[in-house]
Amino acid sequence: MRRQTRAKPTVLIVGNPNVGKSVLFHKLTGRYVTVSNYPGTTVEISRGLMRYRGREFVIIDSPGMYSLTPITDEERVARRILLRDRPDLVLHVIDAKNLARMLPLTVQLMETGAPVVVVLNMMDELERAGLSIEVDALAQQLGAPVLPTVCLSGQGVDAVKELIYERLAAIHADLPARD
Amino acid sequence: MSVSPPSTPTYPPAIEHAVAHIGELLRGDYPLSPRTIALLLLQDDPEIWDEVQAQESASTLERIRTLKKELEAAGETPLAWQIEHQRQLWSQQIAAQVTQATRPPRPQTVADWIGWLCMNPWTGFPILALVLYFGLYQFVGVFGAGTVVGLIEENLFGEYINPFVENLVRSVVPWRAIQELLVGEFGVWPLGVPYAIALILPIVTFFFLVFALLEDTGYLPRLAMLIDRAFKALGLNGRAVIPIVLGFGCDTMATVVTRVLETRRERVITTLLLTLTIPCSAQLGVVLALLAAYPLGLALWAGVIALVFLVSGWLAAQVLPGRATPFYMEIPPMRLPSLSNVLLKTLARLQWYFLEVLPLFLIASVLIWVGQLTGLFDLALRVLTPLAQLLNLPAQTSVAFLFGFFRRDYGAAGLYDLHEKGLLTGNDMLITAVVLTLFVPCVAQFLITIKERGWKTALAMFGIAMTVAFGVGFALSRLLSALGVQVG
Repeated sequence: MRRQTRAKPTVLIVGNPNVGKSVLFHKLTGRYVTVSNYPGTTVEISRGLMRYRGREFVIIDSPGMYSLTPITDEERVARRILLRDRPDLVLHVIDAKNLARMLPLTVQLMETGAPVVVVLNMMDELERAGLSIEVDALAQQLGAPVLPTVCLSGQGVDAVKELIYERLAAIHADLPARD
Repeated sequence: MSVSPPSTPTYPPAIEHAVAHIGELLRGDYPLSPRTIALLLLQDDPEIWDEVQAQESASTLERIRTLKKELEAAGETPLAWQIEHQRQLWSQQIAAQVTQATRPPRPQTVADWIGWLCMNPWTGFPILALVLYFGLYQFVGVFGAGTVVGLIEENLFGEYINPFVENLVRSVVPWRAIQELLVGEFGVWPLGVPYAIALILPIVTFFFLVFALLEDTGYLPRLAMLIDRAFKALGLNGRAVIPIVLGFGCDTMATVVTRVLETRRERVITTLLLTLTIPCSAQLGVVLALLAAYPLGLALWAGVIALVFLVSGWLAAQVLPGRATPFYMEIPPMRLPSLSNVLLKTLARLQWYFLEVLPLFLIASVLIWVGQLTGLFDLALRVLTPLAQLLNLPAQTSVAFLFGFFRRDYGAAGLYDLHEKGLLTGNDMLITAVVLTLFVPCVAQFLITIKERGWKTALAMFGIAMTVAFGVGFALSRLLSALGVQVG
């Protein structure tokens, strides 16, 4: 399968529209970005490189999706990337204010057997709404890592990079990083 | 961070059993876990079905289809819905467990404040009352249906257009029957065109304008949230607010808009409530005209209709199998409406009205002509007259009831004359108003109901409306005389 032929570990960012996926993507990748159409569609996807501690990771920003049972072309493409390209890590970006509405997609992602990390974004807006979330308890309940962030200000983004490194540096360790 | 193995929801036992079974049957090489493949097959995912059909033997596919059919036959709701519902319940549970309020949620801006006030029951219902009073009663009812219609119908059509058309037809068409069909007392022209254009059109225009304004400010979704809990008892959810509110403008359009509801059950309940209880703007105009002099009568009328709304909705929810579906809606921020949005939406709805409803009124006027010519109306009047007398109403009111089916305002003038002659008391006016409101839908709404819900359902609703209208009218008439209540 694709995994053997791929040089660098791949991270896929998924989530509902307008939860901060693209902001996170740009914070992770900086300027190494290419935008292309997904084969056979007009849906644009961005790929970029993240360099961290001397290693490189491919980051893919998927179009917004509400559910794994696709209705729109964007959702169909997001799912195809998830299922056919088999990323090594899936970052599910969610709006912390709307936790209950975001988790059904987390469930669907976890049900696919994909390695899911929950990025609990917009923590500042959560606080402004007069709410707080026990991050450790949520991680325990989901059985998946949960990282609180404010992607717009960059808060928590380093922890996301660190987790990607920890999880994926071991994969493809035999391949030297190009620099 | 130490993390326990991924935990996902457990679905109802029948689904879990089928998922395990399908998982064991699968032999192909898939990019997903057998559990996910099985769940997606049960949810009728076309891509996954294609993949499985390409990889599995005919006998395996047959067994999967049988398992799925058995499961579908056993449950009330679609499998995809059951699965999604379980995910949502599970998500809500977890979210509730890990989320805490650090302080009561505080609105941030003036717009947030207003939005919050609209959804809070203590302030939301009074605000709703204000919206109904100013938006519906004053603007659509008094100004639109009263002032503007008066100008267009009486002056423009009554004095200029109608006489011109009548003279033209009578001088050009030689045959008497055709003259009657076109410009007779119940002809296509006088019943169809001025009614639809001079009366209904201005009223629905004003109504659509208010509706678009409420939509654009973000008030409607908040109203949906406010009403959601009350609607649950009627087997509906907050989403049904949209067709119900539209019904106050035009029940025919509202019946089409029931398409936004998710299940057939919700659509049937909503259509019934629209047919039976929700007075359209033309009906409201009639009722206001009848009861203008009797504030107590108007209040009693509103109370009786609201009671019938609640009781019939509750009963329908008990009788029809199934449950209310959960309701999720994005609540957009409150904002000042944009004029171009409001006008665009109003225009789009008016265009729809012209294309879909106007032709139905023309069909209706042909039906009236046929009814007059063949004596069918006399037959119908013979059925309605004893019913009217049962309610202690003069026999002439049955004419108003019959024409209520074709055009809402038609009976009102006749009733008014009866009242002037002292043949109708205030109580009689109240009972007539109640019966006219509950009584069968107008012909356009009836035709649309047939189209949307089918013959059987439409006829059943016709029968129910007929029975409830005269039943409630009868009970009200007895109750008023037993209690010695005089509304005027």
